[in-house]
Amino acid sequence: MPAKNKSKEEIEDLQETLRGIKNREGIIGYILRGSNSASIDLKDPTKIIDHAILSATALEAGQDIANTFEIGKADSIILEGGDMKVLSMIIGDNRLSIFMEKNVDHNKLCEDLNLR
Amino acid sequence: MSQNAYADALKNALTEIKKICSDVSRSFIFRRDGMIVAGDSETTKETVEKTVHSFQSIVEKEDMIGGLKALIIDGENGKVHISCVNDMYLALAASKNADATFLQAITHVIVPTVLKLLESTTPTPLQFAPSKQLIVDTLSGFFTGDSVQIDLEVLKQWSELLNRKNVGEVEIEAFGGKTTQCSVREINDPKLKGKGIIRIPERICKVLEVKKGEIVRVKPTEV
Repeated sequence: MPAKNKSKEEIEDLQETLRGIKNREGIIGYILRGSNSASIDLKDPTKIIDHAILSATALEAGQDIANTFEIGKADSIILEGGDMKVLSMIIGDNRLSIFMEKNVDHNKLCEDLNLR
Repeated sequence: MSQNAYADALKNALTEIKKICSDVSRSFIFRRDGMIVAGDSETTKETVEKTVHSFQSIVEKEDMIGGLKALIIDGENGKVHISCVNDMYLALAASKNADATFLQAITHVIVPTVLKLLESTTPTPLQFAPSKQLIVDTLSGFFTGDSVQIDLEVLKQWSELLNRKNVGEVEIEAFGGKTTQCSVREINDPKLKGKGIIRIPERICKVLEVKKGEIVRVKPTEV
């Protein structure tokens, strides 16, 4: 499915998929931010703001670097840290970040999200 | 081995890597403080600086993920890998279909080996001039002189790292690209100490084309 022009129904499907992903081992949570609303599901709700800032920074810096290297739109941006990993992507008008433990296979998540 | 020879050796290594892997289009190495260590012959300074600037906005938030080890961007027409190698970061731009295993080999085996080899041939530990990003505060008046003022703590850190008795001169780089070298002394106003600022005489501000509140990169000049 191309990552653009998602209909409301497709976004609802995506939210359903995310709810399934959230229950998997090693998944810390996700933030799906649209133009008018956001779905947030994190294990530790006290860290919502920190996660949201990290998500926004990753998406913005990732696209800036993609522009610098002229590789077009960033389909996915992965931050790998010592403790955790973040997979971020822009799907239509929505910005998605999935937070996970560092040993989770993010490629599998991309496949499950039907983005590869 | 001097710092320049080290950078040249790394630059050659990156250029050779590019030759054996045609999927790699650009590569360079930078330190976490933003200082550029080496880049292949085709990567422009502008590309490096823009990348480092964007990357540092993520590094500022790295505590949340336990330190940033890698940033991988999969784009429509290619990919960019920025990986932590020893205490530095290696940035690689590659084609969309570049072999992920080979890219991993470059970042996890080839470049670390080259770095280890270079360091083993260095008689003393490599010391790059550690740059700092400081906020500009202007100095005005008849008696300002031509020296900039920086926190004594920063000057002490540089002296210790560079194994010098003291640091008497610094290089200042504005984000607009203007640079200058000038003598340095400690901040004499106690109210301004420990605030991460650099006090720059107005005349030097004009040379650098910076104003109060802007950020500049400062490092000790090489001896």
